[in-house]
Amino acid sequence: MPELTNTRPRVALFVTCMVDNLYPGVGMAAADLLERHGADVVFPEAQTCCGQPAFNAGYRREARMMARRFLDIFYPRLDDGLIDAIVAPSGSCVAMVKHQFPRLFTTKEDADYLRRARRVREVTYELTEYLVDVLGVDETGARFPGKLAYHPCCHLLRELGVDAQPRLLLAFLKDAEIVELLNPEECCGFGGLFALKNAEISTAMGRRKIRNLEDSEAEVVVMNDVSCMAHLNGLLRRQRHPCKAVHIAELLDGSFDGDGEAGG
Amino acid sequence: MIPDYIEPRVAILSQLRRMESGSKAAGLPELPSPVTHAEGASLAKLFGSKLEEISGSCDILDRAADVADRIVELVKDWSAEDGDATADTNDPQPIEVLSWSPKELPLEGLKGFLKDSGISLLVPDDLHDESWRARAARPSIGLTSVDAAFASTGSLVLAPGRGRSRAASLLPLRHLAIVPMSRIHPTFEAWLATLRREERLSSYLRVSGQIAFITGPSKSADIEQILTLGVHGPRTVHALVFDDTR
Amino acid sequence: MRVEVRAPYRTRVRQALADEGLRDALDRATSHLSERRERAMAAVDSEALRDQARAARNHAIEHLPDLLEELERNLLGNGCQVHWARDAAEALGAVLDIAQQHQVRDVVKSKSMVTEEIGLNDAFERSGIDVVETDLGEYIVQLAGEPPSHIIAPVIHKRVEDISELFQEKLGIDPTIEPADLCAAARSELRSEFLLADMGVSGCNFAIAESGTICIVTNEGNGRMVSSLPRVYVAIVGIEKVVRSVEDAMLLWQLVSRSATGQDVSVYFSMSSGPRRRGHTDGPDEMHVILLDNGRSRIMERGYGEAMLCIRCGACANICPVYREIGGHAYGPTPYSGPIGAVITPLLEYDVTAARELPFASTLCGACRDVCPVKIDLPQLLLDLRSNVVERGATSRLERTAVAAYGKAMRRSRPYHSLARLARWFGWLALLLPPLRAWSRTRGFLRFPSKRFRDLWPERVRHDEDRTAE
Repeated sequence: MPELTNTRPRVALFVTCMVDNLYPGVGMAAADLLERHGADVVFPEAQTCCGQPAFNAGYRREARMMARRFLDIFYPRLDDGLIDAIVAPSGSCVAMVKHQFPRLFTTKEDADYLRRARRVREVTYELTEYLVDVLGVDETGARFPGKLAYHPCCHLLRELGVDAQPRLLLAFLKDAEIVELLNPEECCGFGGLFALKNAEISTAMGRRKIRNLEDSEAEVVVMNDVSCMAHLNGLLRRQRHPCKAVHIAELLDGSFDGDGEAGG
Repeated sequence: MIPDYIEPRVAILSQLRRMESGSKAAGLPELPSPVTHAEGASLAKLFGSKLEEISGSCDILDRAADVADRIVELVKDWSAEDGDATADTNDPQPIEVLSWSPKELPLEGLKGFLKDSGISLLVPDDLHDESWRARAARPSIGLTSVDAAFASTGSLVLAPGRGRSRAASLLPLRHLAIVPMSRIHPTFEAWLATLRREERLSSYLRVSGQIAFITGPSKSADIEQILTLGVHGPRTVHALVFDDTR
Repeated sequence: MRVEVRAPYRTRVRQALADEGLRDALDRATSHLSERRERAMAAVDSEALRDQARAARNHAIEHLPDLLEELERNLLGNGCQVHWARDAAEALGAVLDIAQQHQVRDVVKSKSMVTEEIGLNDAFERSGIDVVETDLGEYIVQLAGEPPSHIIAPVIHKRVEDISELFQEKLGIDPTIEPADLCAAARSELRSEFLLADMGVSGCNFAIAESGTICIVTNEGNGRMVSSLPRVYVAIVGIEKVVRSVEDAMLLWQLVSRSATGQDVSVYFSMSSGPRRRGHTDGPDEMHVILLDNGRSRIMERGYGEAMLCIRCGACANICPVYREIGGHAYGPTPYSGPIGAVITPLLEYDVTAARELPFASTLCGACRDVCPVKIDLPQLLLDLRSNVVERGATSRLERTAVAAYGKAMRRSRPYHSLARLARWFGWLALLLPPLRAWSRTRGFLRFPSKRFRDLWPERVRHDEDRTAE
């Protein structure tokens, strides 16, 4: 973890392809939070995707090419001392970079990429992890008048071990009543291409999560990955359900106050 | 002539050996440390309550003579409950109990004592013999001792031998086990460690042909996770513990 | 049978999802078992135990050929006969030979996944030999003519009413939904089978190399019965079941008991080292051990040795959110379901299509890895299997093209922007067509906003610069 000095840490925002194309508001909110709480944010414009969808579908060659590109973009900035950390508003994308990138570089030709991957993973963080563990944030000043439940996304929870940090930030929300979901750690059913290849099972799992949400009487369920959020909002909207799923960045930076459209 | 099994054996082993062997051997895992340092009567009580926790039952008695009395009581009560027709009529037949040989039971003169109380011990010779098998299938009570018992789990361990049938603790509805206090140990790990230190562990398993750990009555929860007892093995496991150190 | 195990995958999944009764039963059973497991593991230093268990299993897999030879040596020394079988056919041949030698007409069996794997019951029936499953759950599915649907709870998919109807039909009992009465009926039927059978067959939980011992874990007592009452006893042992020492076996016994049903230990742990000794009252006159490969050495050669650590507790299935929705029969005609089943069923080449479907029947949530008593990294194995499927060229042309296009778009700026523009204009249309239609059948459309993050960012920067300039 980088030591906080008197100068502000410089964070390269790894916005993720889903946020970039579908939920830009989440990216904006993430940048706002980081800047407001002490970091300088740069956005390496050439970034695209970490390769997780291809990797999870079994296409390691394509995933490797995307991983190389990622490292080509982010590593030099790190190596040149232009940035201190890479932060993404997504648990699954960070897990990809930290845990799977090294697995992709196994040949002698890729020895340099392996080295870069190992260096990069030391300074890659999920948003709430960075806010709490590095910037020392607890109170964001955000408020949410109502009942709120937290859904821990699987990669964030199990691969990164990040759970206390988002819960801490939510605990400091003004006016909010945080309620616990039944079996909160159960997967929501998105699972990447699983949502398409096994759409019926995916839907059944999502509907179970929604039933648990109803039982908790929360109006909003908050999470750290837009993938899970898209899946649950998709189901909620189709059911014309009053509940909403929202990304934690938009909740904490005040751009979602319960009324507006989530993920704008 | 090369035995039939050679070719598959060689094929499997050579395929396995062809693979690159991995890392160093893991050390022998440390067993969980003993649960309790209790001894004697308090250890016996711990054993008894653990056995009861898992749907077994237990009496802790002072002397060998009490055990014999209790056996008579239990056999008569159970026979009545189980509808044993020989229990009490005008010309009563002795109640048959499938049993280990009296020589293998740690009570002197048990056979005679029980006979006087109308209970006979059925000690089969050879259960592969049709008539012995038919007879052994009838009693609803089986009587054995144990090699050891363990307080941490409420387990008994039995090894077969001459006059020590497997059937006596397996076929009948009720298993009555005589457990001398000296044979109760805190944990089976500690007991195994002793055998291991004395270099008797491997031979203990090999010599008898089968070792059975029995922890309470037979159970199943296959039907909707609802617990039922006595599916194949005994429905009752009752331990008679007595102080044999006196 | 509500889910036809031999139907195609899509059909099986649809049938499972449509069966309310099944899903209800699965829900209750899996959550009950998971809770029990959690309590039993919380009562001990579970991390230490899991590490020890993994070390014990790892050592065995890494020293397999030596341990198998040691096992064989000691089994032979104990008076057993040992047979080696490269595949199901050789194993069945060995068993049937033994049966023939002893003019076996009736066989009793305790629960064993490996005997399902090789199709033992069918082979017996074809040879005119009567075989009866004695584990209560297996007995029930045998009566019903179905395969088991869970590694340790074969009849997890049936409610008591189903079982009662079945017993009324096949055993002629009076109507009752009392489990105790149903069990008593099974006990009575099976008691005569045990006493009359010529041969007993079991699988093996652990095979101890140092003493030549076959260990069986049961709660009912049928394991002791099949290995003690008939004249001939045959144990079928997957080669991965071997462990080095008695202590390893005792440790793993406790892990499997806690993980499977939440018990400290199972009711019965039978450790059979040989046929009955001279002068003993009972026990088999002959004990045969069949060491079965059936693809296991090949699995290890391919780098999937981790999957061989499994001690068959079923905890992964109980926690899996996918298994909970579809149950075991949806995994197809395999005895191995749930997460571990999704790994080894394709590897054992059980059914040609399994490799293309089962590794993808997972969200990779990782709950299974968290509960596995030997810490098998199941999600990683599934990912490896998925890349094998792709390498073999077994994915659809459409998918390969789509991924290649996506890859290209993500690697160079111009294609990325073009694709994004296309998505903005035509995304809604794409969601109406397969495969994306799979999304929109049950989920609201994804909306592509007119400005992406990267379009908004320069405006924000400019805005900030303007502000600071003021």
